[in-house]
Amino acid sequence: MMKKILYTTILSLFVWLVSAGVRQSYAQVMPEFELAARGVMSVNGQLANSHTSSATNDFSDSSVLLGLREKLYNDFRGRLVVGFQFPDARSNLGQIFFHQVFVQLDDHTNNFLLGRTRLYSRLIDFPTLRDDDALDFTDVLNPFSNGINTQDSQYGNIIQYAHVFDQRFWIRAYGTHYTQNPTILGMQETNFSTNGGGGVFEYLVPGSQIWNRPVLQQLGVGTNIFSTRRYPGIDKKEVLTSLQASTIINLKRDPVNFIDLRHQTLWNLGFSDDVNQLHNFFDVTRARSVATYTTFRFLHSKLEVPTYQLALGFGYKTFTGLKQKTNEFQVIANGFYRIGENFDVGLQYEFKHLNGDLQQLNSGRSTINSLKLAVIFSTDFLFNKQFDNRNSLLNLEHGYIN
Amino acid sequence: MNRKDFLKKGLGVSAAAAIAPRKLFGEEARKRNARLFSKPLKPTINGKWKEFHLYITIAEHELVLGKKIHTLAFNGQIPGPEIRVNAGDKVRVFFENRTELNHTIHWHGLYVPWRMDGVPYLTQMPVKPGTTFVYEFEAKPFGTHFYHCHWSTMLHMQSGMFGAIIIDDPDDPIKKEFPYDRDYTLVYSQHDVNFMRESLNDMLNRMKQRMYLMKKGEFDPERFGIFDNYDQLKKYVDAGYQPPYLNNRRSPAGLPVANYFLVNGKAYPNSPVIYIKEGERIRLRMINAGMKEHYLHLHGHDFWEVADDGRPIKYPRQMNTVRLSPGKTSDIIIEGNNRGLWAFHDHDSRGSTNNGLYPGGTFTFLAYEDLPDHERETEMMMGNMKMKKTLPIIDLDE
Repeated sequence: MMKKILYTTILSLFVWLVSAGVRQSYAQVMPEFELAARGVMSVNGQLANSHTSSATNDFSDSSVLLGLREKLYNDFRGRLVVGFQFPDARSNLGQIFFHQVFVQLDDHTNNFLLGRTRLYSRLIDFPTLRDDDALDFTDVLNPFSNGINTQDSQYGNIIQYAHVFDQRFWIRAYGTHYTQNPTILGMQETNFSTNGGGGVFEYLVPGSQIWNRPVLQQLGVGTNIFSTRRYPGIDKKEVLTSLQASTIINLKRDPVNFIDLRHQTLWNLGFSDDVNQLHNFFDVTRARSVATYTTFRFLHSKLEVPTYQLALGFGYKTFTGLKQKTNEFQVIANGFYRIGENFDVGLQYEFKHLNGDLQQLNSGRSTINSLKLAVIFSTDFLFNKQFDNRNSLLNLEHGYIN
Repeated sequence: MNRKDFLKKGLGVSAAAAIAPRKLFGEEARKRNARLFSKPLKPTINGKWKEFHLYITIAEHELVLGKKIHTLAFNGQIPGPEIRVNAGDKVRVFFENRTELNHTIHWHGLYVPWRMDGVPYLTQMPVKPGTTFVYEFEAKPFGTHFYHCHWSTMLHMQSGMFGAIIIDDPDDPIKKEFPYDRDYTLVYSQHDVNFMRESLNDMLNRMKQRMYLMKKGEFDPERFGIFDNYDQLKKYVDAGYQPPYLNNRRSPAGLPVANYFLVNGKAYPNSPVIYIKEGERIRLRMINAGMKEHYLHLHGHDFWEVADDGRPIKYPRQMNTVRLSPGKTSDIIIEGNNRGLWAFHDHDSRGSTNNGLYPGGTFTFLAYEDLPDHERETEMMMGNMKMKKTLPIIDLDE
């Protein structure tokens, strides 16, 4: 027996040494490196009439992304992305949250993605300081979450296939695992099975052709479905469905003074008449509701880079089928001014008004006023460039070269 | 042997099989090779004027088998078409811009009227997208010259905007001293394909914005980086304008570092072969339209250097390696006095690589087209290795 163990150990060691030598002698192709970083540092003040006044130093949503990309032996390209983010201070995600870890394989018209990334809880982005500033209105909320972490509704595990045709039309289908926060705090998530899915059909003008498009930048429809409990404590799973529609329209297509309008509507079909009162986040995600968000954005670019931006956003959400009339609306006004190539300063004012059951969920508060003063750093850099992107002007307008 | 090595070697052998040496000397190979030399553009005769039509477009170009890039191309080809006229001819060139970028044409080495010299904002306004500019000049001096774009010269020349212009003289002293029947034009260039791609994309993006503003009649000196004179520029800088070369507007210089080296738009093994017969003289007209020096070395022969920048050299010299600097032309005469297949390549071996792999680039050879079959036999060992028994064989990786 001892002889057998010794023999197996020596053989394994030998094989490992030989294979290490082979690996070292085989020259590898250096991939492209993409480094993206975003630092959002703000001083947030809750204003009077919000029942409390306070000021906090906030650096949540600051993030770093590292991407590695290279050509495969066929027409496909492979990409690995790893990223971490500083989550909201009141979340229970700790100091750092790994919000993006995925592998992507794509060619001219096909795109496969596997891992964790930003989910299709929203179809388009809005010009807010942080991407969860209007989350209640802009995203399909995670029914498996307890509502403490906004990241639960934004990031999750996904397996996705997308097909693009005629350069601008996208069809995506995906299966997702939305984060499940157990009801007992401090316990780890143990179930990582697929608990949702969806699809999107979208017309999207590539960013490089921004000056080609006359009016319409984006038009999309999508759906998210969840396999979840209708009632707490009941194991039986049922399908909860949300629908999405969005558009981005150029109001003034001018390289110096640019104005666009962004709009999205979400319909949560809910669990019919079962939820008629909102006691907690669990109910909020299962009640029937309609949410809209609209922004007007003005962007001034003097020397062919953004100089300053002003935006005004309006959100409205109403819950149908509740005993008490319940709705909320939000106004966000912000401005950003570029002080250097990658640096901006910004000021954002938020006003939110809550009616009905939502007031009880927010400790009786009916209005929330806040002001945020921020310094933002953002960069996106590519090293060891080796090949072109699908949506470069050369590939779009002069023939695609892999 | 791992899988990647297996694939590489497999490709090398199969490519050799596809281009058998017998075919190198056959009619088909000669026709295929002839296409690698730019044919002279046919002029239209209009009174005393010879009229040529050149247009610029963005095209896909295959540098070497399997490697395609987007590039600017006169009349859709690299190098641009050869213009061939006689000394003293009246030449008129209609230059049409079919791209969304600005361009000009500079006639390198020619004595043209200064307004025809093609330097934007110095001798003319740039030729804008969708417009045509007419160049008119008398063809002089005789010799080997070339033309190229002078807008964003570093990028546009690298991106393929060059071509030969040959001015013949019936009393050519070189032809008198070294009678020859054939001449070949070889245009050398070097390309950083990553720099080209990124810069062309950036430029196209900027021009889309600028064209939109120009159509609206809006012009901003700061945005366009164009000022009436030095005093105006200084005034704007004093008022806070940051010129685009400063570090707060631009990363440290990413100057191009060539990774592909071409002759007549192609790299080995697609580079053109130069044919000669025993006892014949041929003239090579060599043009360096790139940014790097070449040190062109011919095996087995000493050739005569007979012209420099198109001007006949008073006392031609014999040598086997000639330096060809950026922007220069050099003519040599090769005498067919040593039968065989002879390598002709850049002795700065970097110029003979494809993406860092030797051999490649400007590597080519002088082929005696009357070389007897039995002289192309290889050693016995080649047969033992199960490789073709006759040379040359395509070699991609030494």
